[in-house]
Amino acid sequence: MDDDRAADAKAFRFTGTWQEFAPIAFTNLLLTIVTLGVYTFWARARTRRYLWSRTRFIDDRLEWTGTGLELFVGYLIAFVLFILPFGVINLVLQGVMMRGHQGAAGLMVFVLYLAILYLLGVARFRALRYRLSRTFWHGIRGGSDAQGVRYGWSYFWKTAVSFLTVYLMTPWAMARLWNERWNAMSFGSIPFRSDARWQPVFGRFLLFYALPFVLTIAVGLLFVTMMGAQMGGAFRPGAQPTAAMLILFAAVGIAFYAFFFGALGLVAMIYYAAFFREAVGATSLGRLEFGFGATTKDWILLYLGNLGLVIVTLGIGTIFVPYRNWAFFVRHMAAYGEVDLDGLRQSATREPGQGEGLLDAFDVGAF
Amino acid sequence: MSAPSDLAPVWHYDGISAVRRQAMLVADGDGFTLRHGDLTGERHAFADLTPGDRDAQAATFGLAGRPGWRIGFTDAIPPDLAARLPRSQRYGRWVDRLGLWRAAAGFAAVATVVVVVVLRTPAIVARMVPASVEQRLGEVMVGDFGRKGCQDAAGRAALATLKQRIDPDDPTLEIQVVKLPMVNAVTLPGGRIVVFDGLLKAADSPDAVAGVIAHEIGHVRNRDVMESLLRQVGLSVLLGGLEGHVGGYTNALLATAYSREAEARADGHAIRLLSDQRLSPIPTARFFTRLGRGADGAERMFAYLASHPVSADRAARFRRSRVTGERYTPALDAPAWAALRGICRGETDTIDWRF
Repeated sequence: MDDDRAADAKAFRFTGTWQEFAPIAFTNLLLTIVTLGVYTFWARARTRRYLWSRTRFIDDRLEWTGTGLELFVGYLIAFVLFILPFGVINLVLQGVMMRGHQGAAGLMVFVLYLAILYLLGVARFRALRYRLSRTFWHGIRGGSDAQGVRYGWSYFWKTAVSFLTVYLMTPWAMARLWNERWNAMSFGSIPFRSDARWQPVFGRFLLFYALPFVLTIAVGLLFVTMMGAQMGGAFRPGAQPTAAMLILFAAVGIAFYAFFFGALGLVAMIYYAAFFREAVGATSLGRLEFGFGATTKDWILLYLGNLGLVIVTLGIGTIFVPYRNWAFFVRHMAAYGEVDLDGLRQSATREPGQGEGLLDAFDVGAF
Repeated sequence: MSAPSDLAPVWHYDGISAVRRQAMLVADGDGFTLRHGDLTGERHAFADLTPGDRDAQAATFGLAGRPGWRIGFTDAIPPDLAARLPRSQRYGRWVDRLGLWRAAAGFAAVATVVVVVVLRTPAIVARMVPASVEQRLGEVMVGDFGRKGCQDAAGRAALATLKQRIDPDDPTLEIQVVKLPMVNAVTLPGGRIVVFDGLLKAADSPDAVAGVIAHEIGHVRNRDVMESLLRQVGLSVLLGGLEGHVGGYTNALLATAYSREAEARADGHAIRLLSDQRLSPIPTARFFTRLGRGADGAERMFAYLASHPVSADRAARFRRSRVTGERYTPALDAPAWAALRGICRGETDTIDWRF
């Protein structure tokens, strides 16, 4: 224990290796295929048990106690309560469309969208609560007393406000929602505290608005280049375009596509890197302050690494993405201050009975 | 008295406070106690211990009903103590019991049976669903779409003649022409046949239209629409657990394979109808060949190709069904054919926009 402290002062350490993870990933894949996907839930529990067990915080590792069965039950509940009704509504919607009531159909879609927005907020809250309640350290778990109903409304109207202000209020909504989420959570007997601010990240967020101007200039340049190519006499109206011209057009199209999504992704990462540093840095647990060190470059490398891995392995590499993401997260997490082990008592929050079914249904992340 | 082999040093969390204690596990019979210095804790049964994960923390154990209670062995576990401890888990209870490969083989066998059942039962169930139920389902799904077809009186009379000519035995058959510039014909849930105006324009003979309608009648008779609806529902529930794309592709692949089978069956039905009514199959074969080549108006032909994959084989099958020496008569005479092609005269747009 003393050796550990001397060797590395970092509070969070990831000790897993991909060689160790590979047998887990491949057997998960095999069992998922032969069970027509049902094993996914057990596979996810196995993956987390491994990743948590290879995550050391100060002097001991984390432990994941969630089971595949509870994830499966969570999914079944979400299926009966949400996916099935949505399917039925979809069927009715088709009928309404076919009868020519486009207006009514549009109204239904709008109401459906609002309902999904609310549920998305609830789902995000409950997923975090579930994950904390299944995360043990020193025999102590986390959790929350709230059910996420109020958070759902807050998420609903803050998202609406951010939409109505042409997204200018998005950083504010994101910071507030982060705080609301984490202020409702606790680990053992100690509540989390978070006071993330939107001001420090607002400047970077404005880059999103600069993007259209950059794109307009890029398109202008492209156009000029194309005109130049035309002046060269390669293209005459009415004449059959040559193969070279077609290739040039295709190349320009692909270049624009790559540039558009590349630029959008870049801005998103510049903003998100700052937001995550601000949010985690503003979160504390008792006398323990957290921090997150990943820079924009780190996020880009993570993303490109994942993308490359998936492409080079023709998709098989997808099974390593959860490993890479978790390792990234843990390696950049930091904590300062101290934990009062004598004062840290078991959580008195109610343990949620089933897994993050709703979140699975909407396919979004938890943090 | 306990033998030395019944003692093992452990670390321990009690699940109440976060303090980690070093203790000595003292085994006796089917239970054990933990000793911290002079203090001896309560006795627990080995049977109440819950094992750790073999890939994560194999040598740690929890206690049933005591969340957070943990012991972990710091040294190698003495063999006769190890024998009393529950075995660590890895894949999940069923797989651990059977072994990975045997479990995988077992699951694969079950999965195959499930897939076969899901793919096969719709064909049986669809034929057991009463026509009235299918009709009501059709009402819910598509309302009166295609019910109010093109209204030109002479055209409708020609359509009625054509219907009578193809299948004189079934007065309940419902065929409408809808003004849409698509080369296609569909059978809606409930057995309603809708021919798009674009197909009438593209066909160069009433016999080809008769062939297409006979094909759709085949779908109605075989309850193909009901079957594919049931199969879609079954597959999407079955494959719902798979990751989005994988499930979607598998679903589409299986559904396409079966729709090809249904198309072939409907073709067989059409060929029988044409032959019974002394209608030449050659114009239909020619029509399919033309569609397959995409000779004229390629993009407009796609609709038919997408829903009815046209292959050279299909056209050849119609062509082969021609009996030499048979006296074929045209499906409609020239004035009636002209009237049918003009059935949508005066219609603006059959999809009306209402709130």
